[in-house]
Amino acid sequence: MAVAVARQQTFGLSAFGSVFRGLTNAAAGFALAVLGVAIVRWLSGHDGWDFDQALIFGYIFGLIGWLMGVGLWSRWAKEWFGLETTPDSRTPDRYFAFTTDHKVIGVQYLVTFLTLFMLAGAMAMLIRLHLITPEGAVFSEAEYNRVMSMHGIIMVAVAVASVIGGLGNYMVPLLIGSDDMAFPRLNALSFWLVPPVAVLLLSAQAFGGWDSGWTSYPPLSTTNATGQLFFCLAIITFGLSSILGGLNFLITIIFMRAPGMSWTRIPIFVWAIFAASWLALTFTQFFAAAMFMVILDRVAGTAFFRADAGGDPLLYQHVFWFYSHPAVYIFVLPGFGITLEILAHFSRKPLFAYKWAVGGLMGIVMIAGLVWAHHMFVSGMSNNLLAPFLIVTEIISIPTGLIFLSALGTIWMGRLWLKPPMLFALAVIFNFMIGGVTGIHLADVPTDISLSDTYFVVAHFHYTIIGGEIFALFGAIYYWFPKITGKMYDEGLAVVHFWLMFIGFNVAFLPMFWAGFDGMNRRVAAYTDNLADLNAFISAASFVLGASFLFFLANMAISLLSGEKAEANPWHARTLEWQTTSPPPIENFASTPVVVAGAYDYGSPSAQPHAMFSPAGASDDAGS
Amino acid sequence: MLITILAALTLLGIPLLTAGIALLTERPVQPVRVRPLNSDSDAKAGLITFVLWAILTGAGVAAVLVVDFYSVIGSDRGQEIADAFRFLTALAVPVGALVVSVIVYSMLRRGSAGDLPPDGPAFDGRGAFPRLWLGVTAALTLLVMIYPGLWTLNDVIKKHDHPDLVIEVAAMQWTWLMEYPDYGLKNQTEIVIPVDKKVTFNITSRDVVHSFWVPAFLMKVDAIPGHTTSISLVADDLGDYSDEPLYRLQCAELCGLSHANMRVPVRVVTNEEFDDWVAQKSAAAR
Repeated sequence: MAVAVARQQTFGLSAFGSVFRGLTNAAAGFALAVLGVAIVRWLSGHDGWDFDQALIFGYIFGLIGWLMGVGLWSRWAKEWFGLETTPDSRTPDRYFAFTTDHKVIGVQYLVTFLTLFMLAGAMAMLIRLHLITPEGAVFSEAEYNRVMSMHGIIMVAVAVASVIGGLGNYMVPLLIGSDDMAFPRLNALSFWLVPPVAVLLLSAQAFGGWDSGWTSYPPLSTTNATGQLFFCLAIITFGLSSILGGLNFLITIIFMRAPGMSWTRIPIFVWAIFAASWLALTFTQFFAAAMFMVILDRVAGTAFFRADAGGDPLLYQHVFWFYSHPAVYIFVLPGFGITLEILAHFSRKPLFAYKWAVGGLMGIVMIAGLVWAHHMFVSGMSNNLLAPFLIVTEIISIPTGLIFLSALGTIWMGRLWLKPPMLFALAVIFNFMIGGVTGIHLADVPTDISLSDTYFVVAHFHYTIIGGEIFALFGAIYYWFPKITGKMYDEGLAVVHFWLMFIGFNVAFLPMFWAGFDGMNRRVAAYTDNLADLNAFISAASFVLGASFLFFLANMAISLLSGEKAEANPWHARTLEWQTTSPPPIENFASTPVVVAGAYDYGSPSAQPHAMFSPAGASDDAGS
Repeated sequence: MLITILAALTLLGIPLLTAGIALLTERPVQPVRVRPLNSDSDAKAGLITFVLWAILTGAGVAAVLVVDFYSVIGSDRGQEIADAFRFLTALAVPVGALVVSVIVYSMLRRGSAGDLPPDGPAFDGRGAFPRLWLGVTAALTLLVMIYPGLWTLNDVIKKHDHPDLVIEVAAMQWTWLMEYPDYGLKNQTEIVIPVDKKVTFNITSRDVVHSFWVPAFLMKVDAIPGHTTSISLVADDLGDYSDEPLYRLQCAELCGLSHANMRVPVRVVTNEEFDDWVAQKSAAAR
């Protein structure tokens, strides 16, 4: 994508200059820290080498070296010392550099996380290939556990950052009529923290990997291979990126709105990013804290989670889920936002019950932090906690119901324009309905006792995350592709992608609920013979799901190379991003938009446009 | 099994893949048939959707009442859980049917992939409908909280006051060891319990977190180092791992290398068989 956007300009190996500088500085930082650790150990009377300590300190200094080399120093930090900073690059190499344009950062996020999605998706294909036979067809038990763990955490990272980091970065400033994010350099920093995360997770495999899943419960995670340390460091780094991103979105949405863009006029996708950003800012540190305690238990001899030394393994689960439950709303709220956005524009109708939908999003944010222990109904925690968490968890279905109210009310009696984005948005409502009602079975303690840790749960959370977010992600890509690249894509291929993905997904994941009833537990490299046919069927369907993405990739490649030029507003949508060129200029709008009407005023012949454009250079103060 | 794979691939994959490849090689294409836009009146649209909903709900609820989701229900608590599951699923059917019928009606009767359709009616949901919706969803939520939620909760988790048999279970990477303190039996690697007796399992772990799960009993609780957790139940059917794989003690919480194979057999036997088994094991221990 990056290459094509400005492919007219020259583009050579020098484009990787900042990445290369980042790598050399990282290596230098790493070496320096390892040496430092050795010296300290030697002076204090230990022998000079401890791998875990060297790794941790080497990583911290390597990370600083990487960030400085990649551009934090030359484009930002220099000015702290009164030095002249290098201005942003305007050539295509900015896609490989520390740069502040939110659109470039959005593309960087999107391409990075789509790549990771395809990688972890390929792992899922291997997992399904393995599970074709009861004893496992591909991996050893150890390999299976490691691949499954890697699939889990990479997909969690994709779910956290692909929509918010990619589409949120690109679209939020456009949708609110701003020229950039509130803190553009912080935004660049958020992105450049991501590559080290990917490097850590993949290089962990050279050090035994980790076999404790993405949940990494101790004492397993405090006693397994060294790869676990890489995992912990990756989570802390990624968490920092996520927190900074959340902060940036909140400030941007509060202070950078165009004149007239009141809170009741901002598009619902922006509200969804606002809601998810609150969660990212408020809860991410708990995951990092849990990882920090695991690291300390491993290398510093603390005993947070060691029962024989006064610690408690259950402590970890509380701290971990205190983030990781709100995290699922970080995944899915932006998915809801995209879905409602697309439904309104492609039903050619006002978004139904807009304020109720906003209430639904913010209602979920309010309750998100109070339901974590429903992941622990069979953990052996005090029975006194069961009833309260059952009650609060069931309450979540009320604000979620408001999202469905808005979705169904919006398409009701509309003239549905069944373009690819609309197909994906309709699929989200269907898929999330299944994910939602099976969530009731898991919120109910008695039924959860039988279903927890089985394939019923696997089916449920894939229905909510793939069904609710990943379908929305691809819908959004088909919606905004013309805007981002200035090209149209092949609609036929997109429709094939949709139907293969929709049918493959449902046929693969629906039977997993039954695998749960029939005694198949999660995260297993082998299963009992009675489940063989069911698993073979699931695997076959999952290959169809996997194949659908080949059509997506082919479509992207063909369209980038030879797609027709896109109009500014191919969907005839009212929102602001369509009122500028495709792709938008660096400053987003030729002149400052002044918002004078709602974003979704379809169906009223007398409605004014969403925004008027004032003469260039006029004031761009934030709205009320 | 190979036949299943081939059948599944044929049913789904091959036609779709062929269609995809055909589209790839033959462009430009009109992917979805263009339909004339329908202009059902509000009343007609409502009626069609309602009929669709009623059919889906009727068929769905009937199916939920007939289908046995759990193929084996081997304990009293398991029966309560299965009943709760059936109730919740039956309740979910009309909700799901509403979503499906609105989508299906809208796509088939009011959708088109051709040129930009005209705008729809500009109602935006400021009337009483959202309040009604909120009321109904809140009432449903309250219902599932009370029944089956809180209503069955205590029945499923409460410990037997006076169990007929207590078994101490220790989990470790990657097996289970059972102790029958009343009979002086230690280090058993299978669970044998008499039918229709009150049994309590006290569970702990010697290393990492595991989870005690007997699929046939529908009961599960984690085994945690430093804690003792427990499950109480009455197994009300005979059962044997050798002919029903759900009668097994399976680790359900990821515990490292051999997690998947951390399972031992479970047998529910008559009182006489149980006494024989105890006698035989005691003799072997002597």
